[in-house]
Amino acid sequence: MYLLDLQGVSKIYGSVKALQGIDLTVARGEWLAIMGPSGSGKTTMMNIIGCMDKPSEGKVLLGGVDISAESARNLTTVRREKIGLIFQQFHLINYLTALENVMVAQYYHSMPDEQEALQALARVGLSDRAKHLPAQLSGGEQQRVCIARALINYPMLVLADEPTGNLDEANEGIVIDIFRKLHDEGSTIIVVTHDPEVAEEAQRTVILEHGRIARIVENRKGGQEAKV
Amino acid sequence: MRNGVLNKVIAMFWRLVRGALFRQKRKMLMIAFTVALGASLATAMLNVMLDVGDKVNRELKTYGANINVIPKEASLLDDLYGVSEGRGVSDRHLRESELGRLKTIFWAFNIVDFTPYLNAEARMSGLDEAVRVVGTWFAHREDLPTGESLDTGMRNMKSWWSIEGDWLSDGDTDAAMVGGLLADRAGLAAGDAVVLESAGARRELTVKGIFEAGSAEDERIYVPLSVAQEMTGRPGLVSSVEVSALTTPDNELSRRAAQNPKSLSVKEWETWYCTAYVSAICYQIEEVLTDAVAKPIRQVAESEGTILEKTKLLMLLITILSLAGAALGISNLVTAGVMERSREIGLLKAIGAGNAPVSWLILTEILITGAVGGAAGYFAGLGFAQIIGRTVFDAAINIKPMVIPLVAILVFLVILAGCIPSIRLLLSLRPAEVLHGR
Repeated sequence: MYLLDLQGVSKIYGSVKALQGIDLTVARGEWLAIMGPSGSGKTTMMNIIGCMDKPSEGKVLLGGVDISAESARNLTTVRREKIGLIFQQFHLINYLTALENVMVAQYYHSMPDEQEALQALARVGLSDRAKHLPAQLSGGEQQRVCIARALINYPMLVLADEPTGNLDEANEGIVIDIFRKLHDEGSTIIVVTHDPEVAEEAQRTVILEHGRIARIVENRKGGQEAKV
Repeated sequence: MRNGVLNKVIAMFWRLVRGALFRQKRKMLMIAFTVALGASLATAMLNVMLDVGDKVNRELKTYGANINVIPKEASLLDDLYGVSEGRGVSDRHLRESELGRLKTIFWAFNIVDFTPYLNAEARMSGLDEAVRVVGTWFAHREDLPTGESLDTGMRNMKSWWSIEGDWLSDGDTDAAMVGGLLADRAGLAAGDAVVLESAGARRELTVKGIFEAGSAEDERIYVPLSVAQEMTGRPGLVSSVEVSALTTPDNELSRRAAQNPKSLSVKEWETWYCTAYVSAICYQIEEVLTDAVAKPIRQVAESEGTILEKTKLLMLLITILSLAGAALGISNLVTAGVMERSREIGLLKAIGAGNAPVSWLILTEILITGAVGGAAGYFAGLGFAQIIGRTVFDAAINIKPMVIPLVAILVFLVILAGCIPSIRLLLSLRPAEVLHGR
């Protein structure tokens, strides 16, 4: 059984067809990249997979459960329980420390646990920056806090939207390394990106054009290299 | 174990609240200021409104009596034939010695002033027709049966009279005060002598003061009560008593009681008797004075009630408008705050926060801010109330403790009402839209 199964998914905004008849499956533990030019439907697809939007047509099965017809309240629960979101803009709460930003996700999931949050920060190499406010962290460090927050509740699926879009090369490398490590540990990762080098790290790359899947590329580097 | 979990959850909740409060200091200060403004006006108006009854009543008391007490038979003739003076009427009298009992009734504290009148007809030098001579107390110290004493009389009750010369004192047994119209006709001025003849008795008096009352009293001569009693040969008797009492505006119960107290049930009767309705005070006066009938001077009593009701209504409207203004201010500020924080709220929703927890978070922030503003507004309102009291009534406003819960409830409701638009906006925020700027 696939972890994620999109069956004929379409999203229509008035006269604009953002997604048209998308059929896609993602296996557990797979690392998938989604690429495409602006307006190709990447963000719409991410929103639907991330339970932040619903398809106009088709089915989305996550862990075998059809979530395409769920209420907004149930989708919130699915997001909380099963999905870890990583954003290009980091979206950290600027009046909370790095540690507290991670604990917020715990707070809305179950209960805040400082030790566990510190461990999550340690996993992304930020144990010494736990008490810093976002404004005191570099872009790369903020993105790592965002990753720690996404991972803190052990999600079924890690969904990253342009995770390296705002980072320099050095920080991009650090983030990619973290994804590799996650993949090695068995996490399922979907990365939406513009960057071919980031996409190559994944096992497969889905190329979207005009709301349709133009092609799916099996990457040599992705997965295999990480496993070596 | 469960307590530990709860403590961690509560601690995180307060971290979020505290962070938001300190991060948005200026906005929160503006909200607190808006709430403080509304709360201060509500506090001032409610305190004044609850205390204004006595204050307005006391102000109105300076414009005269609201109860007239006459002998029972005189009242009967007045009711049947509209005869208030003349043979058979002027024969009936009240006893001066009983007047102190007015301050022993259930609502004794509400009896502010009273003064007796003894009417007589006399011929005055320089005029052909008879004139009305009225004996009264001017500034009388009455020793009460309770052992206390009361300063009362015309000087208190006719404070609006315009006097040329001086007021009489009760010891001025060889002086009189003459009404302005009568003085003009007789060509009298302060300091002149006037001779009064009544029932064969002749009395020479000095005009100590000439007054303008703007009523039938301007045709009369006022003398100390003892002089009138001597002239009429009725020692210790009075024709009527005017009473100035603080009263509660009439309602349906008091109107029914005024018609017939026996028509009330026992419970209604107790309520009526223990409320300072003018009819209840009249009833209690009749209980202590022998063969007396106390009648409200309706136009005064009802005007007082109307003025009081309208004053209270005005204050209530100001309170409601100020709170509505505060609610609108809060609404704008909180909505602007939610719009500014839409990404943060969108993020919380994206990582799994439901609408209710996020709404509670925002509400808690605003309620804490509102509580601070409300407390500051309450104390400022106490100051405003005193300013209003000193300026309008020349007296301090009594602070009513019941205003505290009232203002607290009103502030709470105003904050809730003010938060409704922002909560609606918050509920409509979709994480996908705010996080991707769409």
